[in-house]
Amino acid sequence: MADKHDNDSKLVGLLAQFDDPDSLVSACNEARLAGYKSMDAYSPFPVHGIDPAIGIQRSLLPFLVFVVGFGACFVGLGMQYYTNAAEWSPIFPGYAFKISGKPIFSLPANIPVTFEVIVLSSAFATFLGMWGLNKLPMFSNPLHRISRFKRATNDKFFLMIETKDEKFNRSETESQLNQWGAVAIEECRQDLTDNQLPSWVRLVGLLGVFLLMLPPVMIFRNMGMTNRQPRLHVVPDMDWQHKEKTQVLSPVMENGEYLFADERAMRQPVDGAIPRGRLEIDSEMYRGLKKDYRPKSAASSIKTNAQFVSASLEDKKEAPAAEAEDVSMWLTKFPEGITVDQDFVERGQQRFNIYCSACHGYDANGNGLVNQKAMALGANGQAQWTAAKSLHDATVKDDSKNPLGRIFDTITNGRNTMGPYGSQIPVEDRWAIVAYVKALQQTGIKPLTAVVDEDAGGEDDKKSDADGGSDAEDKTS
Amino acid sequence: MASVNPAIDIDNTNEEPGTRAPLVLGGLDYAGVTETVCAPWEAENPPKIWWLILAAAVSLLLVLGGCVNHLLMKGVGVWGNNNPAYWGWPIVNFVFWVGIGHAGTLISAILFLFRQNWRTSINRAAEAMTIFAVVCAGLFPGVHIGRVWVFYWLFPIPTEHLAMWPNFRSPLLWDVFAVSTYATVSILFWYMGMVPDIATFRDRCKTKIGKLVYGVLSLGWTGSARNWHRYEIAYTILAALATPLVLSVHTIVSFDFAVSQLPGWHTTIFPPYFVAGAIFSGFAAVVTLLVPARAIYGLQNLITLRHLENMNKIIMATGMMVGTAYGIEFFIAWYSGVPNEQFAFINRAFGNFWWAYWIMVTCNVVIPQLFWFKWCRTTPWFMVIVCIFVNIGMWFERFVITITSLCRDFLPSSWAYFHPTGVDIMMLIGSFGLFTTLFLLFCRFLPVIAMAEVKGIMPHGDGHH
Amino acid sequence: MHETRPAKITSDVVTLNDGHLKAMPLLLIVGAIGLGLSLLLTGFNFERFSFIYLVNFCFLLSISLGCLFFVIISHLTRAGWNVTVRRLAELFAMCTLPLGLLFLLILVPVLFGSSSVYSWNAPGWSAHSVEQAAVIADLPAEVRPPIEQEKGGYLNSGFFSVRAIAYFLIWGAMGWFFLKTSLAQDESGDVGLTKRMQALSAPILILFAVTIVFSSFDFEMSLSPLWFSTMFPVYFFAGAFMSGLITITLTAMWLQKSGRVTDEITTEHYHDLGKLTFGFIVFWGYIAFSQFMLIWYANIPEETFWYRYRMEGGWGVLSLLLVAGHLFIPFLAIMGRTARRSQKFLAGAGIFLLVMHWVDHYWLIMPEMNQYTNSFTFNPLIDIPCAVGMIAIYIAIFCYVARNRPLVPLKDPRLGEALNHAVH
Repeated sequence: MADKHDNDSKLVGLLAQFDDPDSLVSACNEARLAGYKSMDAYSPFPVHGIDPAIGIQRSLLPFLVFVVGFGACFVGLGMQYYTNAAEWSPIFPGYAFKISGKPIFSLPANIPVTFEVIVLSSAFATFLGMWGLNKLPMFSNPLHRISRFKRATNDKFFLMIETKDEKFNRSETESQLNQWGAVAIEECRQDLTDNQLPSWVRLVGLLGVFLLMLPPVMIFRNMGMTNRQPRLHVVPDMDWQHKEKTQVLSPVMENGEYLFADERAMRQPVDGAIPRGRLEIDSEMYRGLKKDYRPKSAASSIKTNAQFVSASLEDKKEAPAAEAEDVSMWLTKFPEGITVDQDFVERGQQRFNIYCSACHGYDANGNGLVNQKAMALGANGQAQWTAAKSLHDATVKDDSKNPLGRIFDTITNGRNTMGPYGSQIPVEDRWAIVAYVKALQQTGIKPLTAVVDEDAGGEDDKKSDADGGSDAEDKTS
Repeated sequence: MASVNPAIDIDNTNEEPGTRAPLVLGGLDYAGVTETVCAPWEAENPPKIWWLILAAAVSLLLVLGGCVNHLLMKGVGVWGNNNPAYWGWPIVNFVFWVGIGHAGTLISAILFLFRQNWRTSINRAAEAMTIFAVVCAGLFPGVHIGRVWVFYWLFPIPTEHLAMWPNFRSPLLWDVFAVSTYATVSILFWYMGMVPDIATFRDRCKTKIGKLVYGVLSLGWTGSARNWHRYEIAYTILAALATPLVLSVHTIVSFDFAVSQLPGWHTTIFPPYFVAGAIFSGFAAVVTLLVPARAIYGLQNLITLRHLENMNKIIMATGMMVGTAYGIEFFIAWYSGVPNEQFAFINRAFGNFWWAYWIMVTCNVVIPQLFWFKWCRTTPWFMVIVCIFVNIGMWFERFVITITSLCRDFLPSSWAYFHPTGVDIMMLIGSFGLFTTLFLLFCRFLPVIAMAEVKGIMPHGDGHH
Repeated sequence: MHETRPAKITSDVVTLNDGHLKAMPLLLIVGAIGLGLSLLLTGFNFERFSFIYLVNFCFLLSISLGCLFFVIISHLTRAGWNVTVRRLAELFAMCTLPLGLLFLLILVPVLFGSSSVYSWNAPGWSAHSVEQAAVIADLPAEVRPPIEQEKGGYLNSGFFSVRAIAYFLIWGAMGWFFLKTSLAQDESGDVGLTKRMQALSAPILILFAVTIVFSSFDFEMSLSPLWFSTMFPVYFFAGAFMSGLITITLTAMWLQKSGRVTDEITTEHYHDLGKLTFGFIVFWGYIAFSQFMLIWYANIPEETFWYRYRMEGGWGVLSLLLVAGHLFIPFLAIMGRTARRSQKFLAGAGIFLLVMHWVDHYWLIMPEMNQYTNSFTFNPLIDIPCAVGMIAIYIAIFCYVARNRPLVPLKDPRLGEALNHAVH
């Protein structure tokens, strides 16, 4: 490749080959001592000791990286301050909001991202800075035209003394290189046509530039236009739906009246509507009602969960209705499919302790922690609280007034100020709680173990009275 | 010209104090190293086993693609995630994969700073593994956000339409920054390290397309001493940046858990303990990949038993650190006197997920003890088995941390059990397909061993060694 | 290009000279005066004195433990570059056993039931400290756990003493093993001894990890018996190794200045020690930040009070000083290669860092004296004489341990590697 005519190519330098790194280093040293400055060594791996041999100054790269990293520290912090703590801005205002109990600008929480920004910027500075200082990528290099030089990335070592060096002299330099132990010497010539791009590259380049111009031109064109079409929405993502949001007013008709008389956009389920998968046809199991019981009207006192909210709005009007309740409709025994045994009652105890004891207390005397606290606050006038019911009250205990089904219903739908637990406790567990409540009521204010102990002829039940259910739980768990 | 030496294991694991055992065996010279590393790439056809594994890997990749598609069409309900286990398998998988990635950076950056020369034969493959593992890791939280098409909301990009910014006080956002920075810096580091070797490929390439592609990728590298000078400085700086970065990544992953108040998650030792665990699993993955790779490609002279033994020692050491952290956690849970904390740890060992806990302890603490025996850490097939167990154990560690704590938090009323679905399981298996496919393509088209670095540490390359 | 030095010690003087050894009684007198003066200036307030004594004790102990770790990890990784400075680390590691004697001043009162330093030693401490912590942490009365019975199994004077004695015996045995074997090699040059130390370094490291974990819990964390952090041992270790490295560096410089070990330790060694120190400055910062961040972010009362206390008043200023002086200033100072290769600069940075490491222990320990009353205790008249005295005693111990023993391993098989050590 190097044998082009002189008028097509220009001598760049003399390339000398060496077979091992040590002779390369010593040749470099000789060359430096001989006064050469424009030279470079080429090796398949960094050869130690070559930097002083050629006279390479230590690179400024670390300093550059430090400056970038230092700046990135402030960029990172500034970005977080701007976006999370500052609300001023001509464009894209910040979004200051309090979250997770942290101050608006909370330095410790901002350190991780700042750190990452520093590392990312420094890494790019290192990477790009290194290539930039090395003047790479380079699209053409006369060295690559020398077939011998292909071994420079494999196992051979080269030293090139460039023609631009003041001391360069074609023949003298060659003899010096030979003297320093070069295995082979070759001219490195730059093909002057190398500087001209092939025609197809130009074509492709022009085409590329043209295509790149298209989007900005189109955007610019559209910015000055009006369009009746809605904005392009790539992923529909349920953004546009024909619906009313929750808790808003009813749509207004053309005549100025609300579409729905109650002025609410939200609709109540149609009477008798049943949510999908919630048919629950076994009314004994799911509602605690006797099988043959048929409600006289849909507006009976039995509420579904969906109706509970709306019904509670009208509690005041309906209050007397609760008095007129027909107790005979409630189931008086456990429904089929429920077997009451030791495990079942223990399950009930565990669930009771989780869900009910907070208000009713472990021993169901109506004095759970929440109740105590709320009563204390109530005494100061700081809260309004209706005392939790003791489940040992005569009315609650009385099977004729409060049959099993009614207790079940109380758990499911709530009663008076007690909220519904139907959504939180599975049906079987609710029945288990019912069983446990009945067991508690039978023992008086005594936990389950006391009853068991009594049955087994145990005597010391006074002690466990004080500890309530927690003691019993220890034994069962 | 040296020929590729027959692939046999030469035992170079015994080192007399005062001498250093050779890291390049088989009497390879510079050209021999080039030949050995380039042989798999220059071979006209890859070996049959490569095709077989690729076929299996691509099938798994298709499974993964199918699952992701199903997920996007149906929504995250196809996973077993429930209330309270909002973080189910996807997050377990994420932490698992991100952890595996750490070994690559450890080998390429930390061992470099500690001047551990033996890293040169394994760093390239380990770095590649890092990137592929991070790809797998990024997939899971990526799809976990539900609406992947608006993933850019995670980044502080000004949008008029959103009129708000990410919350920089959230550890999940730190994660976004940490993992994306990690992926970017790993790729820069990997690519920069590869340029001299790509130049070797360029100079040996015989096809036109190959010349163009490797020519462009090698950026006109000549191996000039002036270039090497800046290159080495840049390499050191990148290593010095990657070292705290790799620590920060798993630290921030651990912050996701540890800044919360959940018993079992809120433990201050999490950052270093997660990092140790990550290196532990990552090294196990490197061994699992390199033992077959060196056998298939005949790289035994470069990836020697000594390399493998050193890695196994690190596996043992980090395994011990992880084991110590388990112990400290238990002790402090008791010492703290906080009932919730105590319960969380007793529940791990003896609660619903006891089996996961004991798999974890067996695989992470007990099985690596085999490496005390020299035979175990110098027998390739055996160490692969141990390393696979280590990775199983580390997957279960993340499972134990994520799931058991979520399923048993403060309120017994919100306790539940976690069941993975088929999609969960198929996605985990599928991610191995993605990982293996990428790794096989890497083995075929890029230099598997950092030739320039290996040559740099060879004795006749450097007179005073 | 590369000239290889023979693997032989060429310095004429590789042991301490008579002057150093004669200074030992003087150092002990300085120590006694320093401690006495400190006690006098507290007005014979033994509680105040014990606390500052503990600060200095932990500071010196951490240096020795850092050096012990240096020795262990050198053998574990078969390091060659640091052979010429390893003997110094061995000597400092051996100082752990005499340091154990100094701990008796704390331990004996504990055995006699004193709770002035370790408040858990007084019956009923939990009620007292929970009460006080509650003021800080707004703990409601109902949730205060019955901590005393629970922790009593671990935090009691008997078990504490057994553990403390065990730590010092174990560390002493480790230090003695390495020093003795290494000295034996000076005589025989037996390569087998190196192999033996390498083989045993792995189990020794495990034992070291266990002891450092529990000793840091016992000596420093249990001062605030209510508080707990799993990260604490790592924090202690990070500072310990950093200060150990600095102590090795400074001692080597001092020896060379006094013409002891002239050309065995070169700029390359200082550069590497500087790099390791730099790494552990960052590691300390990483651990300190992680521990703080997790506790600050989760904001759980039973942990936060510890930091909240240290973030207010004088302690807050000290915390900021620590962040700046233990992390940012030294980080920027020895980041540059030129800085690390300048002996004078490195020595200055090293002394500064040791002071900061002392402040670190002060910050860990002293706030627990006036638990939860938030009174800043720094009083240079009490603290500085005590520090000077203790350091003088420590140097005396070092001189005693070093005696006329060689300060570099004479026949280590990797000596050649260390002598020809050059950073590429």
